Amino acid sequence: MNSLLSIADNLATFWNFTGFANAEPGHIVMILVGLFFIYLAIKKEFEPLLLIPIGFGILIGNIPFNEAANMQIGIYEEGSVFNILYQGVVQGWYPPLIFLGIGAMTDFSSLIANPKLILIGAAAQFGIFAAYIIATMWGFAPNEAGAIGIIGGADGPTAIFLSSKLAPHLLGAIAISAYSYMALVPVIQPPFMRMLTTKNERVIKMKTPRVVSQTEKILFPIMGLLLTAFLVPSGLALLGMLFFGNLLKESGVTRRLAETARGPLIDTITILLGLTVGASTQATTFIRWESLKVFGIGALSFIVATVTGILFVKFMNIFLAKGKKINPLIGNSGVSAVPDSARISQHVGMEYDPSNYLLMHAMGPNVAGVIGSAVAAGILLGFLY
Amino acid sequence: MRNYTITLFLFIVALLFSGCSSKLRNPAWVINEVMVLNESSYVDDYGQRNGWIEIYNNTAKTQDLGGRYLTNDRNNPKKYPIPRGDVLTRIPPHQHALFWADDNPFNGTFHVSFKLDPTKENYIALYDNDGKTLLDEIVIPAGILADQTYGYPQDGVKYDEEGNSFATHLERVTPSSNNAILEENPKIVTLRKDDPWGGVMTLTSMFVVFTALLILYLIFNYTGILAQRMSQRKVAKSGSLSAVRSYTHLSGEVLAAISAAIHELKEDQHDIESTILTIQYVKRNYSPWSSKLQTLRHLPK
Repeated sequence: MNSLLSIADNLATFWNFTGFANAEPGHIVMILVGLFFIYLAIKKEFEPLLLIPIGFGILIGNIPFNEAANMQIGIYEEGSVFNILYQGVVQGWYPPLIFLGIGAMTDFSSLIANPKLILIGAAAQFGIFAAYIIATMWGFAPNEAGAIGIIGGADGPTAIFLSSKLAPHLLGAIAISAYSYMALVPVIQPPFMRMLTTKNERVIKMKTPRVVSQTEKILFPIMGLLLTAFLVPSGLALLGMLFFGNLLKESGVTRRLAETARGPLIDTITILLGLTVGASTQATTFIRWESLKVFGIGALSFIVATVTGILFVKFMNIFLAKGKKINPLIGNSGVSAVPDSARISQHVGMEYDPSNYLLMHAMGPNVAGVIGSAVAAGILLGFLY
Repeated sequence: MRNYTITLFLFIVALLFSGCSSKLRNPAWVINEVMVLNESSYVDDYGQRNGWIEIYNNTAKTQDLGGRYLTNDRNNPKKYPIPRGDVLTRIPPHQHALFWADDNPFNGTFHVSFKLDPTKENYIALYDNDGKTLLDEIVIPAGILADQTYGYPQDGVKYDEEGNSFATHLERVTPSSNNAILEENPKIVTLRKDDPWGGVMTLTSMFVVFTALLILYLIFNYTGILAQRMSQRKVAKSGSLSAVRSYTHLSGEVLAAISAAIHELKEDQHDIESTILTIQYVKRNYSPWSSKLQTLRHLPK
């Protein structure tokens, strides 16, 4: 009889440690969100390289367990495996490594060939600061508002980097929001692109970009680093790694290093970053009213960034000669969701003129957006840290 | 137009570099707070009251005070050598070390070999390991009251923008802790007060973003023009089809059509071939197995 009782006790103890006994409605909600991300990635192919790790990370982070037992399981428990992997996010060293890979895989030729497109990348950063204003109006402290605002830069690593410094308690919500909206670029941007442009503007054919010499390609990362980092040293971690990666690519003598940076290294970091950011959405710390607000502001910031990019192109066109006008459909690619927003320019452009290829032109503001958002992050860090 | 943009570019560069300053820098170690006469303030590990000297690590890295020298004598920089090998002399970034001025160095690492005298001016200096390089110094005026400290209101901040010293009598006695107790980030407090909706911040930041990218635009605009001119010169010298293109400014399509026509014309001249086929035996001495080239590693790229 005693044996039976002790078996019952053991089973009861065991039950207390199971996920079923510790589940809360929040866990179920977040697991559904994770499954939705995986669905979007596989079925709709929205940013699968990010949404699969993040979606699965959400599942991992929301397996309920007995938190009081301190078994070093959860991502927020010091010493746990996931906590160790999460340090790259918390300490902010995954994002610069991602930027290294981005630099090593980005061809800045279109930007160098037509440098005025850089300014579109600057205009689109208004999304960041519009979100900053909205966030302060909604009661967030300036540092939190700055971290939320960077979602408008449409740059996941930058958003993670900045929020880990300015508002670590909002990091999960900001990262999920940034990556979700980056994945939803094909849904968010086209309606505004159509709304803000006329039929004639949508069929503007831009001049084929000139061929860029190797010397110019090598000069770009060196000059780019010196100019931007002198102005905004607080963005050095991101800008330094971005331009360094690009020099590895363009120098022509470090092919192996460039291939590692844009291949195995960025893949490894993407896996770790996506998984741990997903796992950081543990329902007990993630589901809060603030998280919902962050999502709302994030959506607005994306919209503002898209709108300002397009309007700025229209503004530039006032001053440009007839044959040199820019198709405003590339204005949306000022947000730095590379290369998705440039692809959207191409798709929407081809709807109105199937012979109009905008992709190469759109890549200019797109990569300028990466630089612009890193500069904006540096400014916010300087002002608010 | 071109002159206008060159002027704009030079103006921006001049404006940026005009900000380069030559103002006095705060040193890496700062003698941050000093109590000369301790009557009823804090006691040391031996229960005694003595004057003390607080040193602040004014950097973002851990620094070791071991092997450096503290002195109150301008003619004797090596008066108190801070012992090496004590882990407690490794001071984390922006943290403090407290030395008791009790003239009793045998009481431990943090007890120096001199006392401070409240009746006269006290000179205190910290020297580097060579005993020659001055790291920081402070002069405490004579007549300082008992249990009052002298130092800098903000930890490690010695000078204002004009280079004047901030050293003063401090309101609070704070050994081994911050002289200014910061409950909130001062930048955030100022922004909340002066710019509650973020409008000024937005304008400033957008200005900086545009300036950064505008400079990039200007530089690459001119680099591009220069590169194009150089390549045109190179092509012109080569006398190729591209040279024709660069001079005539005809579109690629037109030049392709002309080239195709010339090619056709040339082909027509050779439409009757000789119909002689020659098969020649090629003796092959080379094998990759015996090639030196194949056995040597290429330079890594």
